[in-house]
Amino acid sequence: MVKTEEKVEELTNPNFFIDRPWITIVWDDPVNLMTYVTYVLMSLFGYSKERAHELMLQIHNEGKAVVSSGRREEMERDVQRLHEKGLWATLQRDDQ
Amino acid sequence: MATFAETEKEVLINLTEQLIEILAERVDDAYRDPLAAMVGITGHDSPPDDEVLLRLLPNAYADPIESAEFRRYTESGLREKKRVHAMSVRTHLLNETSEQISLDADSAQAWLGALNDIRLALGVRLRVEENSHEQLELLAPDDPMRGVYAVYTWLGWLQESLILSLMDDEQD
Repeated sequence: MVKTEEKVEELTNPNFFIDRPWITIVWDDPVNLMTYVTYVLMSLFGYSKERAHELMLQIHNEGKAVVSSGRREEMERDVQRLHEKGLWATLQRDDQ
Repeated sequence: MATFAETEKEVLINLTEQLIEILAERVDDAYRDPLAAMVGITGHDSPPDDEVLLRLLPNAYADPIESAEFRRYTESGLREKKRVHAMSVRTHLLNETSEQISLDADSAQAWLGALNDIRLALGVRLRVEENSHEQLELLAPDDPMRGVYAVYTWLGWLQESLILSLMDDEQD
């Protein structure tokens, strides 16, 4: 079912024509091991060990990091895969 | 390859069973509509009341309405994945008579997932926070949480060694 309000919101959003309007965020949590977060980012997104380590440190030090961006459905799939691994992830519009 | 004492196996079997039990909460009332169940719609869209279950099945959006919509279509699938991981570790431990447990690539992923879910659950119960480790180290000997914290630390060590060996394998 398509909601009309959502359609209108999509059309009036200034980012409508931009290619990558949605982002996946991983939030810091005190239980997940640093090595585990690095490993999950490597295996789910194909990041190099160095890049995954950098993102993990950003999550740890700043409380969160954007780990992927793209279409909404793609980000919903990424969040689902991260939840399967036990990482605390959400998705949102890039402009928030 | 990991080595387990008999008591360690028992502890881990018990924890996988508790995890399976927690994941089964809310399932009974979820499948009232068989057609919805068939396509993986859980029927309920509110976040779980149980803090542990909420950590295992978290919200995907900050907005509660969007989050509810997402949950309605994805929660049962997520729960099932986690249940399968826990079940496979439990079966593995029950069937393994030796103290040595070796894991192939598939079972390593199930173990990693289940160990992490158990640690997340224990972390909620222990109220683990960023700087609470010192406090938890100092729990009184008769505090029931002391044993829970010991298990939590042991599982962290186990998980860490599993990850390091997986990372080594990938580099080879």
